[in-house]
Amino acid sequence: MSKQVEIASILPRESAAVSAWDLFVQLDRITHRFGSRTVFEGVTEAAQEGEILVVSGANGSGKSTLLRIIAGLLTPTSGRAIVSAAGTELNGAQRRRLIGYVAPDLVLYRELTGAENLQFFAELHGVRADRAMLVDLLTRVGLRGRGRDAVGGYSSGMRQRLKYAFALLHDPPILLLDEPTANLDTNGVAIVEEIVKAQQMRPGGGLTIVATNEPRELEWSARRVHLGPGA
Amino acid sequence: MIRGAVQPDAAGWASQARALFLKDVRAELRTRVALSSVGLFTFAALLLIALATRVLKETLTVDLARLPEAVTSEQIRAHMLPAWDDPGKMGLLWVLLIFSAFAGLAHSFVHEEEAGTTLALRLSMAPGAVYAGKLCFNLAVVLCVAAIATPAYVLITGLHTGPIAEFLVLMIAGCLGLGAVATIVAALAAKARGTGGLFGALGLPLLIVFELMLLNAANTLYGGDVTPLQSIKDFGGLISYSVLLIAVSAVTFHFVWEE
Repeated sequence: MSKQVEIASILPRESAAVSAWDLFVQLDRITHRFGSRTVFEGVTEAAQEGEILVVSGANGSGKSTLLRIIAGLLTPTSGRAIVSAAGTELNGAQRRRLIGYVAPDLVLYRELTGAENLQFFAELHGVRADRAMLVDLLTRVGLRGRGRDAVGGYSSGMRQRLKYAFALLHDPPILLLDEPTANLDTNGVAIVEEIVKAQQMRPGGGLTIVATNEPRELEWSARRVHLGPGA
Repeated sequence: MIRGAVQPDAAGWASQARALFLKDVRAELRTRVALSSVGLFTFAALLLIALATRVLKETLTVDLARLPEAVTSEQIRAHMLPAWDDPGKMGLLWVLLIFSAFAGLAHSFVHEEEAGTTLALRLSMAPGAVYAGKLCFNLAVVLCVAAIATPAYVLITGLHTGPIAEFLVLMIAGCLGLGAVATIVAALAAKARGTGGLFGALGLPLLIVFELMLLNAANTLYGGDVTPLQSIKDFGGLISYSVLLIAVSAVTFHFVWEE
């Protein structure tokens, strides 16, 4: 399927002729408060396809909140998080189709197996999830042979791997990763690094935004937003 | 590159709702969270009703105000009525159905919220589709409860159903309304990290109107001199309220669903 056709299905008709995603995320003076507590104030940054943007800051500085705002899950108190493709700002439904999201508070259904979870979410995304596709995906995240096990029986590391399969199901050009290597062993960390590298190298360009404090992950990009004191 | 790229016609609203409904059915058959609470409540309530009404359903009563001053036993016998009439039995049937349904339906959204799976849903589907999927599941639960409990209740209490077509319309319309009320109230309660108490408080205004409509329609069955126009008005009122509630809930659901 050509990129033009994919974009045509997501963007307004007048934008359908563009040949690449032309992704752009712009954080425009974003401030967020929970009650009277200001989490962060005036965050301004931009990132485009092929780039990795690292969001760092102490615990409680609002890294996860900022990722939720970018994903369209949360409305900031003031300012805007503009996610655009081919010069067109994406609405909620379009963001759902173009964004893959991994976070500690993302939970999949414990009562279903790994494969059943992926099949269910694939159906929601309009992706044809045949057996070969699921095997590919599970192999990619290091869960080959565990697809028929109930997620309730997975270890925390296996659940983190399954979250990556969930995020990659619809082949999204934008990845939002909150604490991307939490609970993962050395092999799992290597898988995540491979996913991030593949995302950066994907044809048409992918965009990755990472919220972390891990020194190794901070090195993934020089493009950073630091939240909290000294920001 | 993973196979199975996003299709041009990505999942629409209806197929997302269908997928959520099927997922809920599969998860329910596996965990039986709602089934066990609904089943236990229904069984216990039916057992209590059967034991408590063994004497009551045979008992006759008389309205003393209708008797003359000097009265004979024949006159008393002529004025005797069943102590527990059909509208009363119908009322108790709906008490049973409402409580059974609420015992199970509270799980629909609260379970998602407590398990933390709402984030995955919000990342993957439109709010309207979530509402539709949950409504379908809740309607299925209510209809199953009604289909099992109503015949048992009729046998136990000797309830006269009246004209069977009208009785069926009443039951289906009532289940539709009950499912609609329970779905939106469960969503509100889940968002408020609610407990059973909050669930009840939030649902009260919606439930009271539903009950009034239901009562009107149920009285039509036993009214005797009810005109067809009155019947249509009462049944139509119940169905219209249910449809209106579903439409308003679907339109406003994203305010509840989104943070």
